[in-house]
Amino acid sequence: MDQITDRTTVNGKKSRSRVLEMSINGETHEITVKPRVMLLEAIRDKIGLTGTKDGCESGTCGACTVLVDGQPTLSCISLAVENEGKDIRTVEDLADGDNLNFLQEAFLDQGGTQCGFCTPGMLMSATALLEKNPKPTRDDINKALEGNLCRCTGYNSIVDSILQASDQGVKPRLL
Amino acid sequence: MQPLPNFQYLEPETIHEAAKLLMDSGTQSMVISGGTDMLPSMRQGIFSPDVVISLQAIPHLRDVEWDDTEGLKIGPLATLRSLETNAEILQHFPVIAEAAHAVGSPQLREMATVGGNICLDTRCYYYNQSENWQACDQECLKLGGETCKAAPSGRAKKCFAVFSADLAPVLVALDARITLLSARGERHVDLREFYTGDGAAPHVKAPDEILTSVLVPKQMAGIFGVYQKYRIRNSIDYPIAGVALTLRLNGPDKSAKKLVKDVCLVISGVASKPLVVKKIPPLLNGKALDDALIEEAALLAKKAALPLANTGGERAHRKQMIYEFTKKAFEQAINNGSQIS
Repeated sequence: MDQITDRTTVNGKKSRSRVLEMSINGETHEITVKPRVMLLEAIRDKIGLTGTKDGCESGTCGACTVLVDGQPTLSCISLAVENEGKDIRTVEDLADGDNLNFLQEAFLDQGGTQCGFCTPGMLMSATALLEKNPKPTRDDINKALEGNLCRCTGYNSIVDSILQASDQGVKPRLL
Repeated sequence: MQPLPNFQYLEPETIHEAAKLLMDSGTQSMVISGGTDMLPSMRQGIFSPDVVISLQAIPHLRDVEWDDTEGLKIGPLATLRSLETNAEILQHFPVIAEAAHAVGSPQLREMATVGGNICLDTRCYYYNQSENWQACDQECLKLGGETCKAAPSGRAKKCFAVFSADLAPVLVALDARITLLSARGERHVDLREFYTGDGAAPHVKAPDEILTSVLVPKQMAGIFGVYQKYRIRNSIDYPIAGVALTLRLNGPDKSAKKLVKDVCLVISGVASKPLVVKKIPPLLNGKALDDALIEEAALLAKKAALPLANTGGERAHRKQMIYEFTKKAFEQAINNGSQIS
């Protein structure tokens, strides 16, 4: 049997805080958290990036979606400690200063945001999709966004936004 | 965000170290895999472990490998998404990819694991609720109360929470075998025998055991398989009725009269375990499928399903969906008949 190291000792049931080095949007942030802290709480409350939204807190609505090593992940049901050393991207990574990226612009053009609460999650799921599949069909988009709920039910314009962003003949709407 | 209760978080680097830690830290410890079911349940106060043991740092637990003598070996930490795209799975057991794809949403599949799906806790309207909700009424049986609130009589001493995994019924139909490891030793269990049918204690894994491997036997490779899932929304939700079917159709290529061999039908979301419909193999093995036989099989499956009003959907409707899906699954098997042997 392997030697159990001090790091993993069970002695003392206290939940010790840990110092984590989190890589968020290409920057390394050192944060001190208890193991119970979710990735979402770390991003919003410890690092102060409040673009990622806190919705259902049970992994259903997708508002908290961030990219972990390029894959869409629900930050409300993922522990911060499990994500140390991984490449995490949030919605703040998309724009360059005040310049929105092509996908965000397309959401504006199509009216892809209504109340806007689901938008950060939608943008991150769409970003992951477009990185894997630059010309997704409407069906591909529906599939990729299955885990993101829009309570305003503005799905059609969100799908249109992604079709426009992937340059597939959908023209900006005159709003 | 309401914080979770505090716990100690351990990251062993070998599976034996994990087993030792799990034993040493006693009954209030839990192993975390994808966390997609465990963490929401911790938020609701359903689980409140003092110690959470992560398997992430242990190498090779995510591996999916084809072994020419034994078959397909799936590591417990393999994500459902990784099964959907794995070349060995698509070649030998495409139905595993199909069932993995039916789970949750893209984000959930990216995180959720095979081990978690197999060991999934049963679900019920009276069980998966917040502590405040629970405090408004007498406790449900699974949370330490006297009787099951889901049972129509209100006096049942058995828990009727529903087993709601999509992948597990397919693995049962494929005769998968799992390995459980603890500091006391290792044992192999047929997945079919793993589930008890008791909602309060749905499987035979002891608290100090860790699921370390899933084996789908080589003999099952190439068998036809299909999984049909019914849920409220066409994404995210757990199944409220599911049908997994595996079978072989043997006979000459052009013949319409192919004979059924090795049939297995498992229904999910309508009982406290993935339910093997035991009357199906004696009814169908060695016979050629026709409409009357399929009708009889679908009625058997419908009869075996005993859903209660403790998850989405109306009971009679869910039973009917088991019937419809069973028919549809057999029809798919016939349509695919020309490609399988």
